[in-house]
Amino acid sequence: MTMTSESEKYDKIINLLRKSKPVLDSTEDIEREVINRLSRAKHSGLTLADVIDFLFGWVDIVWIRWSLITASIVLVLFFVYQQSIILKQIDFLSNHTTIIEEEPLSRSAYEIEKKVMMYKLSGRKIPAQSITISEKQMEQLLESVNELQVQYRDLLNLIKEDPELKKYIEEKLNENNRVKIKL
Amino acid sequence: MIDIKLIEECRGGNFSNFRKLVGLTSPYAYSLAFRMLGDEDQAKDVVQETMITIWQKLNKIKSAEVYMTWIYRIVVNKCYDQMRKKKRHPEYVADEHTWTLISNSISELPSADLEKEDNARIIRLMTDRLSPKQKAVFVLSEIEEMSGDEISEITGMSKSLIKANLHHARKNISDMIEKYL
Repeated sequence: MTMTSESEKYDKIINLLRKSKPVLDSTEDIEREVINRLSRAKHSGLTLADVIDFLFGWVDIVWIRWSLITASIVLVLFFVYQQSIILKQIDFLSNHTTIIEEEPLSRSAYEIEKKVMMYKLSGRKIPAQSITISEKQMEQLLESVNELQVQYRDLLNLIKEDPELKKYIEEKLNENNRVKIKL
Repeated sequence: MIDIKLIEECRGGNFSNFRKLVGLTSPYAYSLAFRMLGDEDQAKDVVQETMITIWQKLNKIKSAEVYMTWIYRIVVNKCYDQMRKKKRHPEYVADEHTWTLISNSISELPSADLEKEDNARIIRLMTDRLSPKQKAVFVLSEIEEMSGDEISEITGMSKSLIKANLHHARKNISDMIEKYL
């Protein structure tokens, strides 16, 4: 068999296939089936295939589409894993923080003073974390300490300026000391 | 040529207009799918899938000129999917009956048109040993007589790759002709 006869046969077969164009018997069947499927899809809910098609339908090359879907799933899983770790860390840290509560102002200063006084009278030290105070209460406490310091300075100045008053106070303090020693 | 007005009307969700579009488009899609797959039922399935994809992506079409290229691209991709689903033959088995049919058909002058079933058998026989890409290039270039530019747009392959695939396809088929015909 020669090369020419092979190529002739090849050409004849190709011509035969070209000439015998496959004809669709009935386009109506296809039309009906397509419309039915579209109507069914319209009435049924959103499926996973619809979501995938919506997100990745723009990619015509199949292997690229599936690569993108796989990459997206991996990223989503990684994101969820990372989020769970972050939430665990937040939970762990929140268990180790000191909560400063807001308390009503009406009972603040008086309550604290009462507690401090009780501890002083009993001769005990105030245990750590036994009193919970708010920021406002702390500010009030500092203000009252400052006021006391000012009043104490004024009193000292007054005593220095008046020698009789100074002498009287010294006598009173000495008497008090003697009483304490007797007790 | 498909009218762009018809496509625009279909975008509005009108099924009766889309039915017209399916009627105009499906013969082209069917012809290509049949020639690529060599199976009538599978070709019809591909046409249906193609039409549904068209409905879902009609907004992508900006001009009527690109419409047919786009349709062919969808058909080729759907055919690739079908080929993947099909079980590949482990070894080529010479079909003597089909070779006799080919021999008789090409000896007639002028040769008569093939019956649909015979056409499918010859296509299957010729393209059985070709890869999906070689099949696509062979059908688009040799049977559908499309240009290199058109094939490149449809398949996404470069021109050199198209040439290489076509060369392999021709060689493969010529070898079979030499051996069996």
